Amino acid sequence: MKRQKVTDPEKVSVKRKRKSPKEFFGEIGAILKEYTDKGYLRLSKLQKFIYKILAFLRSIPLAIARFFKNLGRGIKNAALAVAEEFKDVGRTFKNGDWKTKTSFLIMGFGNIARGQVLRGLLFLLFEIVFIVYMIVAGGYWLSMLPSLGKQGPTQSYDAVLDAYTTTYNDNSFKILLYGVLTIFFIVAFIYTWRLNIKQNKLAEQFLKSGKKLKSDKDDLHSMVDENFYKTLLALPLTGILVFTVMPIVFMILVAFTNYDGAHNGFSNNLFSWVGLDNFNTLLSWQSAGGGQSYSATFGEILAWTLIWAFLATFTNYFLGMFVAMMINKKGIRLKKMWRTILVMTVAIPQFISLLYVSKMFARNGLINLTLKDTLGWISQPLPFWEDPMWARASVILINVWIGIPYLMLITTGILMNIPADLYESARIDGANAWQQYTKITLPYMLFITGPYLLTSFTGNMNNFNVIYLLTGGAPTNPAASGAAGSVGYTDLLITWLFKITTGAESQYYLASVVGIMVFVVVALISLVVYNVLPSIKNEEDYQ
Amino acid sequence: MKKLLALILALAMALTFVACGAPAETGGGSEGEGGGEAVGNELAGTYDVVIWAPEAAVDLTKKQVDDFNSSNEYGITVNATVEPVSEADAATNMITDVQAGGDLYFFAQDQLSRLIQAGALSKLGASAVEFVKSNNNAASILAAQAGTDLYAYPLTADNGYFMYYDKSVVPESDIDSLEAIIADCEAAGKNISYELENAWYNAGFFFGTGCHSDWVTDADGNFISIDDDFNSDKGLIAAKGLYKIVSSKSYVSASTADFASGSAVVITGTWNYSTIKDQLGDNMGVADLPSFEVDGQSYHIGSYSGCKLMGVKPQTDAVRGAALARLAQYLTGKDCQLARFDSFGWGPSNNEALADPAVAADPTLAALNEQGNYAVPQPNIHGSWWDIAKVITTDVKASDGSDEALKAALAKYEESIQAVFTMSDDVKNAFTVIGSINGDGWTLDLPMTADGDVWTSDEAYTMDAGVEFKCRQGKSWDVAYPADNFVVETAGTYYIQLNAATGEVSLVPAE
Amino acid sequence: MSNQKHHMGMKTLNRVSNSAIYILLIVISVIWLIPFVFIVLQSFRVESTYQVGYVIPQQWGLQNYINLWNSDFKRWYLNTFIIALAAAVFQTVIVLCMSYTLSRFRFKMRGPLMRFMLILGMFPGMLTMIILYRVLSDLGLTQANAVPGLILVSVASSGMGYYVSKGFFDTIPKSLDEAARVDGATRLQVLYKIILPLAKPIVIYTILTAFMGPWGDYVFARYVAFGTSAGYNVAVGMYSWLTNDQINNMYTTFCAGGVIVALPVTILFLCLQKYYVEGVTGGAVKG
Repeated sequence: MKRQKVTDPEKVSVKRKRKSPKEFFGEIGAILKEYTDKGYLRLSKLQKFIYKILAFLRSIPLAIARFFKNLGRGIKNAALAVAEEFKDVGRTFKNGDWKTKTSFLIMGFGNIARGQVLRGLLFLLFEIVFIVYMIVAGGYWLSMLPSLGKQGPTQSYDAVLDAYTTTYNDNSFKILLYGVLTIFFIVAFIYTWRLNIKQNKLAEQFLKSGKKLKSDKDDLHSMVDENFYKTLLALPLTGILVFTVMPIVFMILVAFTNYDGAHNGFSNNLFSWVGLDNFNTLLSWQSAGGGQSYSATFGEILAWTLIWAFLATFTNYFLGMFVAMMINKKGIRLKKMWRTILVMTVAIPQFISLLYVSKMFARNGLINLTLKDTLGWISQPLPFWEDPMWARASVILINVWIGIPYLMLITTGILMNIPADLYESARIDGANAWQQYTKITLPYMLFITGPYLLTSFTGNMNNFNVIYLLTGGAPTNPAASGAAGSVGYTDLLITWLFKITTGAESQYYLASVVGIMVFVVVALISLVVYNVLPSIKNEEDYQ
Repeated sequence: MKKLLALILALAMALTFVACGAPAETGGGSEGEGGGEAVGNELAGTYDVVIWAPEAAVDLTKKQVDDFNSSNEYGITVNATVEPVSEADAATNMITDVQAGGDLYFFAQDQLSRLIQAGALSKLGASAVEFVKSNNNAASILAAQAGTDLYAYPLTADNGYFMYYDKSVVPESDIDSLEAIIADCEAAGKNISYELENAWYNAGFFFGTGCHSDWVTDADGNFISIDDDFNSDKGLIAAKGLYKIVSSKSYVSASTADFASGSAVVITGTWNYSTIKDQLGDNMGVADLPSFEVDGQSYHIGSYSGCKLMGVKPQTDAVRGAALARLAQYLTGKDCQLARFDSFGWGPSNNEALADPAVAADPTLAALNEQGNYAVPQPNIHGSWWDIAKVITTDVKASDGSDEALKAALAKYEESIQAVFTMSDDVKNAFTVIGSINGDGWTLDLPMTADGDVWTSDEAYTMDAGVEFKCRQGKSWDVAYPADNFVVETAGTYYIQLNAATGEVSLVPAE
Repeated sequence: MSNQKHHMGMKTLNRVSNSAIYILLIVISVIWLIPFVFIVLQSFRVESTYQVGYVIPQQWGLQNYINLWNSDFKRWYLNTFIIALAAAVFQTVIVLCMSYTLSRFRFKMRGPLMRFMLILGMFPGMLTMIILYRVLSDLGLTQANAVPGLILVSVASSGMGYYVSKGFFDTIPKSLDEAARVDGATRLQVLYKIILPLAKPIVIYTILTAFMGPWGDYVFARYVAFGTSAGYNVAVGMYSWLTNDQINNMYTTFCAGGVIVALPVTILFLCLQKYYVEGVTGGAVKG
């Protein structure tokens, strides 16, 4: 930092010369054409940024080509690997002893015969459970999966008792759910069966080479030692598999059915597969009523969702940092008290604070009444929730109220971690407060909180609570009134999704399509950010 | 290699499957233990019943069920769990999961077709139909009806709105004129709470000028078409009236009891009576809605009148179904309706209860009655309509009040409702049979399937000589064959066949 | 000379900016506290039960709190408390298992696993509400049994939220583990003898956030409890008081309920604030 300062003055004056647009873009173009480190370093910050974006955009077709190439290679490799697996199974059977051969039919037999009773019993138990399940239920679910049910509920009239009765038959929902689970289960079984064979092969080799097999006791001990991570992950991953992965797979499948209020799969009509129809509906330009197509409505909501996420993230970020810096400033007293006051909003459940605030800002709420009647500053109530622009501004402002304390907490810690001598040397170089902020504090903060900003951005895209509790999406957007549920100007994709689900027609299939689109958007943004801002990439250790 | 853990994982999963993956359906709810040991006593037994009632009515409903247990002649004992679920939530909840829903539930009539469509309402048997039809007023019977069948029991006939006002702000001489009321409120700096950004309220302006908006359903509660003339000269007058109020600085789109927070006029219903009485005391005034004036002519603002209904969930067991029907009849009978009037001021739908002197003397019900002269009984309405129609107000408010702008708002409304009924080409092109088959009175479209140009009815129908029918396309009369009704000459069981290329209709005897 | 002047200028400047900051902080504090103060005041208003245009009650009393006591609120409160407690215990265990493992172990599937969970996290959770409801309904854990159902769902999917505490574990030097391993400690012993004591802030942070979550859970809780008052949590129950047909009678009771709900959470939070801050700053930003 210091050294840069010393050598800077001359360079700065050189740099300050305004580049003409032609020069400006010419330089970027030159590097795009042929990259050199030297040329890159000569670019100004803005040029670097533009270069990165252009370079990223340029790399997209290449990346896609690479993706398909890799995909092709991957498929080929996978096919080869599967073939190898088959061969290995065959070899194991051919070369194996009778214990191994029996294990092909009775899982775990080899383990038990060779003294690994615990393992063997687990294999055996799994096989029994699988077979019983497939006979009792699995076969049925699997056979129904292609049609999602044949017979809906039937009604009949009992003339003696003078009453209508309903007989419920197939249940599309359960067929889809348990059909998917059964497929999961079959895959797990095949994997386990293969594991069983592999273990037999290894055990044979082990014994042949004169080594001792691990005893049950060894197995148990390793679970708290070298295999401790498996023990630790077992429960969390099972939970995620059943309560996160499975539901997501299910809901993705729903996007390809006509599951909605009129086809609830059980008590009225069964639902069935419809292919890509729902995606066509959402993305087509066909009017959904109100003079606007689904795609236009989707586009509008998406645009607002992105604007909202951007503003909500950065207003909170900078204002939170600002408040933290005020409190942290030397000479300010009662630091703890200021913090505590702010932090109370984090502690109080949002449904209480947000609902109350939403009522406060209503047309006949406390704020308007005070301004109008008590103070007489305005003659008409302010349309906090009635005018689209007002409503959008209000939700962002109130979100600041919710978000600042949290950001204040986060940034306080980091601010304190910035080495004090950085500031000291900057001061000696004559940097004023603003320069210190832009040259030291902000770069440091951005570097450390880069990943946080990204998750916070995607989190805000899906910030259901603030919008739902404050406005419920209001005010209504007249042009989009025909598109499933009543769409409002403050609706985010996530609240729209909720409205579609609980709206008059309960179009679950459409909600599911919107959900998939949300995923696509979030994934794209993350991808772009990871590629354009390498500092974030390096900070993460996901590769 | 060590995969003990993967194994345990897979096992855990497997056990979960076996625990909850058996395909057999469990029947809904417990069943009556009673058998047919004595004639006329088939219903005797104990039944566990879940009733969804609005919070306010929970205790009273419990008491009424007890009374039913001690007084009914069938030997039915109901073991009731009464849960507080508002009328507004009941439909949404039922549609989410019919199986887990209440056996008996209170709901507002506009939810009827949604509920039928979701399979959440049991059709009424003949005796129940007789009970409903002979005891209730005409509007409430209509409210419980879809096609020709009844699906629910009327509970109240007071689901309408009228005007509460603060006598200290709006003098009694002004209450008939919307313009005068607006002037009074603006002068006093007070608000008018009128929830016009809700189609239930803003449609009243259109009814006031003679417009109508009727949805047509078939017997399954499916909507077939809409007959609506909001986008017309009469509609324009209504929009002008609407503009008068929404462009006023006093206008607030709300229907809550707002007298404590700046309102001098609130348009709402009987349910807010006690709160408003508390807020205004002797200054409380109650009246029917005012009139507005356009081009020298005066139009009384209309409204929807509606009912609350009690629904019975479809049952898998006929005995239980019959027993629940008896309970529903008791709970919607004269005594129970009067008890609800006494406790919460709910206006009865039962004819005898309506004649009760206390009911007749009630001020809010009187205002509602007065407004009833201008009210339209709420028909079954397509769920999307509410969202589409409420936008009229938003558009009118955003306009400059000129004829062109108002017309544009109405044109947009019409386009929106048309879009709800853009039928898919399959439906538009399909032929159906309609006529007096099976004793039907030309209300049911019977499906046909095409093989090239030849359409054949999906089922064979047994028809007497003289039965008439037509085959029509897209459930409309634009294309229909034959030109004059087809008349069956010889009784028998036939498939109906149509050659769409020639328009020739014929009967094919079933084997 | 000029130097001295400069110095003086700095001092006054500092004083001016400090006063400005104090004023700003006071304004901010007022804005932040107002809604809470108002809620508390409204909860003691007994002359009417609906919304009014003033803040200070004309008549003070405890009627709203008595109403709470006589309503189902007790049950809702207990439900929420049980859920919060269970979530605090089980969720913490799961999150710690997950984050500790991903921070400390290097195994073949680690990278793919973390990428997979990153992708999973990009799906809106709202989407899975319907299916989770059905699964719970098949297990008999809805309506009156909503409490165990909600615990199950919140605990089962909590492994996804490992980022913050993994970030914290990353900051604990690995050399500590290795030294202990050399001394012959098993991985399990390393965890509870060395890491956990050092990770106290993040443990408390995790417990605290897990405990606070259920108090505000509305959408899914409402879906699961589904028209059965006995299964409501406070958010679902109290939200129903603000519907059009109840708000006139229950508005002040809602405020009283808000106070009762916010009180223990706030106190707990303020007591453990120190750890919360350490947890957030140690973990949240490391990703």
